[in-house]
Amino acid sequence: MAATDIAVVGFAQTPSVRKARESEVQLLVPIVTEALARAGLDRREVGFTCAGSCDYLTGGPFAFVSNLEAAGAWPPISESHVEMDGAWALYEAWVRLQHGDIDTALVFGSGKSSPSKPEEMWAQQLDPYYLAPLGVDPASLAGIQARALIDAGKATERDFAEVVARNRANAKDNPNAQVSGDYSVDKLLQAPYVRAPLRAHDFPPISDGAVAVVLARGDRARELCDRPAWIRGLDHRIEVHQPGMRDLTASTSTTLAARKAGYDGGPLDVIELSSTFSPQEIILREALGLDADANVNPSGGALAGNPVMATGLVRIAEVAQRIVEGSAGRGLAHATGGQVLQHNLVCLMEGD
Amino acid sequence: MSDTTTPKENLVMNHLVSLSYSEELTPILERYVDALIDGRIVGHKCPQCGRVYVPGKGYCPICVVETTDKDEFEVSDRGTVTGFTIITPVAYYGQTETEPFVYASVLLDGSSGNLGGQDIIGVAHDQLHSGMRVRAVWKPPNERTAEGVSNRGWGSVASVIDAFEWTGEPDADRSVYEEHIF
Amino acid sequence: MSQPRVVESTLEFPYSRSLGPVVGGFLAGLKEHRILGIRSADGKVLVPPLEYDPNTGDTLDELVEVGPAGTVGSWTWVDAPTPKHPLDHPFAFALITPDGADTAMVHAVDAGSIDKMSTGMRVQPRWRDEAHNMIDDLACWEPA
Repeated sequence: MAATDIAVVGFAQTPSVRKARESEVQLLVPIVTEALARAGLDRREVGFTCAGSCDYLTGGPFAFVSNLEAAGAWPPISESHVEMDGAWALYEAWVRLQHGDIDTALVFGSGKSSPSKPEEMWAQQLDPYYLAPLGVDPASLAGIQARALIDAGKATERDFAEVVARNRANAKDNPNAQVSGDYSVDKLLQAPYVRAPLRAHDFPPISDGAVAVVLARGDRARELCDRPAWIRGLDHRIEVHQPGMRDLTASTSTTLAARKAGYDGGPLDVIELSSTFSPQEIILREALGLDADANVNPSGGALAGNPVMATGLVRIAEVAQRIVEGSAGRGLAHATGGQVLQHNLVCLMEGD
Repeated sequence: MSDTTTPKENLVMNHLVSLSYSEELTPILERYVDALIDGRIVGHKCPQCGRVYVPGKGYCPICVVETTDKDEFEVSDRGTVTGFTIITPVAYYGQTETEPFVYASVLLDGSSGNLGGQDIIGVAHDQLHSGMRVRAVWKPPNERTAEGVSNRGWGSVASVIDAFEWTGEPDADRSVYEEHIF
Repeated sequence: MSQPRVVESTLEFPYSRSLGPVVGGFLAGLKEHRILGIRSADGKVLVPPLEYDPNTGDTLDELVEVGPAGTVGSWTWVDAPTPKHPLDHPFAFALITPDGADTAMVHAVDAGSIDKMSTGMRVQPRWRDEAHNMIDDLACWEPA
């Protein structure tokens, strides 16, 4: 049985911006420092550090090594890296904390999408034989997923636009959001298609950004934080890679991850979903069995800011922040990896 | 439908993945390149530990404190060879060199870290040694550019400095470079 | 302040991938203008063929010819192709199930215009003039 006394006790994130002038490490240095300060933890006391980033995105082999400079890795520290969203770095740190010999961990995720051409670069995350050579891009796969959803009678283009309008309106209260404001659904529906049936607003913005989270266990968590956001369950599940070999209108892996994380369908004060394309929020709501009035993405979610490789960990930080600050008692954060919701992580958190 | 046999030959798929990137230099590197074109090499000096990074990073990776223009610090264009190798090129994809060449690390006076991958000219390969004192051979001012400097690199001077040459000074004491071999 | 300098860079990775009997078998089939799937542990035909059953992990080795015509499942329209796309003019990316297959493959459909596209439409393969052991030896699909 996994420990249930590991908690988020500190966090910080940069705003999501279209183009940051700073280097990726420069984005990380102040937020790693801020997250540790928020927890009142000296970086030399951190038991384990894990980071998530993508060298293809950064555009330099071994770029992830530089990112470690934000953690002050001298004298040498105990650390690891995942070529995945920072939410999976948090997963590794959470597993590491289960060993019981350390009681704190630092996790961060970072990505600058601005230098690359995401629509060309992301084909490299796909099967190199059948998909990558065709330049299959995430937006095209999302378009295929969206039409499958419409063909199955599960959603309409208006539903997609409503997701966008709701998230952008929520983002008005989020100082880190890149896209926010009041948008009329009717007006959104007049925009041209980019990947029919999807329009530009159904896509996430191209973002630069970073996030850092501090974890602590048991009594140490209580020392470092008045109201820790306890991770009651954390699980991730993956589905078959080929998009034509699974039902794109459902997310079996999210349902399973939520169940394994201990989500029993009970009330949630806050839910943050990594639905990077608007139809995915509809799929994820169904996979998690959420009511129509569930408090989904009060931050505006990934449609308001999508610092790839940080987006999922931002969701965890957003839920944790609401628990730590006392506005939520129980929350669920979701992260995704791969294409069109292939790989999904669910993190269930509670306050005391 | 008809069943088929597996192929007798093992096919090979040749796939060139080519990804392009475009980005503005960070403000720190803008100042670094401006100085290089002006014939000066500048870095950042950590206000806490005093280490000097060339080019400046905007932080000290040892102390994890931010550094700014106020911490700018000019280093010498003279330094000490801390380590080197002679590379005999093999014709791998992207290799443009055909003859054995020097790949040396130079610790510039005033800097806390090496400048990697430098050419040393005017010295026979078998005479090269760690501790040699060298100075930069600058390109003419009108030929100096920003090429090769990128936000992800470890800094480059190739677009302003052709190579390093022996200064004629005696070798530096081992203590100068023994912590800076690579 | 003057305009910031913009740095352009290109990363290149020249891969030579040894394909083995399943992927190699599929690409060898494309050379002969044949589309091959593979029979899964529960008797279904997977296209494109996988080396291992995605449900059971069993090794798969029975290649089965499917198509050549197929049916479009879901699809999207690409108005402005990138240089990495298989066609240089507007086209559809689609899930195509070749006749006799139980799964769909992602590929391009050269339909001319979005108005020619529909879920359930019939398509046929268009072959590349000279095969080069890549998925685009099946250049694209076109309305049948």
